[in-house]
Amino acid sequence: MIAAALFLVVVMPAMNAGGWVSDFTLNVWGKYLCYGIMAVAIDLLWGYTGLLCLGQALFFSLGGYMMGMHLMLMIGKLGAYKSDLPDFMVFLGHSQVPAFWKPFYSFPFAMAMVLIVPGLLALIFGYLAFRSRIKGVYFSILTQALTYGAALLFFRNDLLMGGNNGFTDFRTLVGANLREPSTQRVLYILTAVLLVAVVAGCRWLTRSRFGLIQRAIRDSENRVLFSGYATANFKLFIFVVCAMIAASAGALYVPQVGIINPSEMTPDKSLEAVVWVALGGRGTLVGPVIGAVSVNSLKSWATRAYPDMWLIILGGAFVLVVMFMPKGIVGIPGQISSIYQWARRRWKPASATTDAVAPPQAADP
Amino acid sequence: MCIHGLKRGAFINPMARRVLNRGLRMSLPRSMVLIGIALIAWIPLRSANAAETSRSARERIAEAVTAETPDKQRELVLALKSDPTPDVVSWLEKWKEGAIYLVDDGNGGVVPVVLTGKQGADGGSSALRLSDGAPALSADGKPLLVNPDEVEAAETDSKLRKAMKEVTDLAALADPDITRRIRAIKDSAIGQNPEKLPALEALKSKEKDRDALRALDESIAIIRLKSASPDERADACKTLGELDSLAAKDTLKNVLADAEKSGDSVTAKAARQAIAAIDAHVAMINAAGTAFRGLSLGSVLLVVAIGLAITFGLMGIINMAHGELIAVGAYTTYVMQNVFASGLNLSPFGQSISIPGMNIASGGDWYFVAALPASFLVAALVGLVLERGVIRFLYRRPLESLLATWGISLVMQQLFRMIFGSNNVQVSSPAWLSGNWTVNDVDFGWNRVFVIGFAVLIIAATWLVLNKTPLGLLIRSVMQNRNMAACMGIRTERVNMLTFGFGCGLAGLAGAFLSQIGNVGPSLGQDYIVNSFMTVVVGGVGNILGTVISALGVGMADQVLQQYLGNPVTGKILVLGAIILFLQWRPAGLFVTSSRSLD
Repeated sequence: MIAAALFLVVVMPAMNAGGWVSDFTLNVWGKYLCYGIMAVAIDLLWGYTGLLCLGQALFFSLGGYMMGMHLMLMIGKLGAYKSDLPDFMVFLGHSQVPAFWKPFYSFPFAMAMVLIVPGLLALIFGYLAFRSRIKGVYFSILTQALTYGAALLFFRNDLLMGGNNGFTDFRTLVGANLREPSTQRVLYILTAVLLVAVVAGCRWLTRSRFGLIQRAIRDSENRVLFSGYATANFKLFIFVVCAMIAASAGALYVPQVGIINPSEMTPDKSLEAVVWVALGGRGTLVGPVIGAVSVNSLKSWATRAYPDMWLIILGGAFVLVVMFMPKGIVGIPGQISSIYQWARRRWKPASATTDAVAPPQAADP
Repeated sequence: MCIHGLKRGAFINPMARRVLNRGLRMSLPRSMVLIGIALIAWIPLRSANAAETSRSARERIAEAVTAETPDKQRELVLALKSDPTPDVVSWLEKWKEGAIYLVDDGNGGVVPVVLTGKQGADGGSSALRLSDGAPALSADGKPLLVNPDEVEAAETDSKLRKAMKEVTDLAALADPDITRRIRAIKDSAIGQNPEKLPALEALKSKEKDRDALRALDESIAIIRLKSASPDERADACKTLGELDSLAAKDTLKNVLADAEKSGDSVTAKAARQAIAAIDAHVAMINAAGTAFRGLSLGSVLLVVAIGLAITFGLMGIINMAHGELIAVGAYTTYVMQNVFASGLNLSPFGQSISIPGMNIASGGDWYFVAALPASFLVAALVGLVLERGVIRFLYRRPLESLLATWGISLVMQQLFRMIFGSNNVQVSSPAWLSGNWTVNDVDFGWNRVFVIGFAVLIIAATWLVLNKTPLGLLIRSVMQNRNMAACMGIRTERVNMLTFGFGCGLAGLAGAFLSQIGNVGPSLGQDYIVNSFMTVVVGGVGNILGTVISALGVGMADQVLQQYLGNPVTGKILVLGAIILFLQWRPAGLFVTSSRSLD
């Protein structure tokens, strides 16, 4: 694992600087790693606490939007309308920057907002949901509704957040030109470092006493409750932390991809992110990262090679993973060895009597 | 009349000259009659009216077309007001459209003709004389062939068109079709022209229809608002207020402003009262319209959510593909429509499939009757396949059933795109579902009335199936306690399968419906899935009555908020927020199924 971390943080950017890895590849990997961070957050909620949140894309893109607001203001007079205002505001006929945009001129303020806005939303929503003990599928449906409502809101022009088109055409970040490969390399390194830090942090968290209670809540919330733990507070804490992790991934995603719009926020995106976790292997910390990177590489390839088939591949893969690979890619070795042992036990008495060959079964359903 | 002719140095009245010209090619007695008429026409027009009415519309219009000066043309057209038959209107329309052509009659004059039949090789069509419908003949006695590009069309100027409109308006007032007549009556108030009053009063004395009488009162009162006497104006205001006339509101406001300016307190008071009465009426209409739209949206939600209430509420399966099963129903309706008509060509996966059509003439009206059971069956079949193939492995893992069915929904959406194309398909409503039913200025669309009725029907049927049939008993027992039901010898697997199929069939029915009130496209289901889950959660899982109440509540709240905020999206967002807060108050929904189990 340390080797993989070193590879992502040091070797990849070094190879890029040396010219062995193209700028495009590095940029794409930066995007995948952002998704990986979001996937870890989902896994921390779903795999470790048993809360399937279908609103993680909302927190991710909220973080992205906060970063986007700062980047939009940094464009300055370089925009298409040569105005101090972001282009879409000029287009909508505004003459000055709205009051709630003004503090975003400050980079530290924007960075604080990246964490505070999604964190606050998660705090309020989580408090309401966990206090009234909404759990299981109801929690999933409610988070989905929250995301749906937020996406509808962000699609509107009068929210002054860019409407349909969102934010794009960014120029500089803390004085560095975003179109320079070196800036992108630094962003990539930051993403990789954040990913490693998040995985390490979650590893520490899940191995602590807190992590134990977390898993106990997943397996039987009532017993934990009757043992005297305020499960709602534990869940609320983890929900807010995961929202912040997703938001910081979103904030790094936006300058690398160069656009953020409300379609990143839809419930579908959240579900897609859940697919990464399920495919990679939930309940592990490496699994979600593997899932995010592999599904997105597959997507990049399939949407070019078989544009019509991509949704069928994704949907079909998902059904198969849910049904036959409950532990995902990470769980495959374990599944193979259990099949092997099952077959060996079956084979021993069989060899004594007849030549019955047991059909291997894929998994316990 | 003849002065013009003299001024131009003609010795003979142009009308008479035309008649004489025509007469040269006619049998003697007929030309004699025409000459006689021409002589009568010599007399000033007003007194000639009585005689004019006895002539056919074509003749009189032909005469107007060829009149020498625009003024006279107008005079002749206005004379038609004495007897505005539908025939007159249709010829005037033709004239206005430039479909009446002027051809040389071979004697230095012109004759108005209409062209009929196909164009020949030389671009000519046979010409019929406007005056009597007989073929126009060329100088050598052969039927005349006219190329419309080469001859001049009879022209109209704005004054003439205005005169024509007066005639057609008058004709419309006498239209035998009641809707068109009422529209004409309402239109006659525009411009508040007092000259129209006598015609309206005359119509009022013989009109029998109540709606038409109401419209007449309204129009007469609006015109009388222009009257010089304050008492008459005040009286008109009062009438309009009593009639709750929406059309008069703006006029009344102007009258009020004028009256205030000129210090006419009588009219001002009456106008103010009338406006208040109309405003109250408008508020009533808006409230009734909102209530109706809320009810119909609630019914749509109900129809969409009732299937979900069974698969999710009773069975505990989160079926994210529910929306796609709705789309299956909608696409089945589309296929049925085409099967009843001329068939359908599809090209999925590069294959070409052609479904033959039955070419039934009235298929447009009756396909829907066949589509309802078909959409139920097809969706139920798809549901059974899903249950056997995927969902039966996931009964104990609800979160994973959510994810697997979402995967299925992606696959199905893409299949719709590949089979039916990614654009919306056209599903037309049968004639008996289109149109409005207007009560007291509130419009009730038939298709929405139908949706409400159908929702009631579906709920009744579902309730009967669940509570009055052996299958319903089995379903309820399995849903209450699967293990105990299995111990009692119930084949739970089979009951699961049937229940899921039933729920999916209901989704298909919902799709047949939505095809009547919205677009049918691959992402049809996505528009409804979040709302229908919300509806079921709010209603209380496992309770049909709760679903009914919450669907109506959500639909009504959505429409009321939309009405007051003037913005559909904000309304939707507020409804979602309200639902989240509502679940604070009642975490298990409106109706809680009491149970001793903890989870």
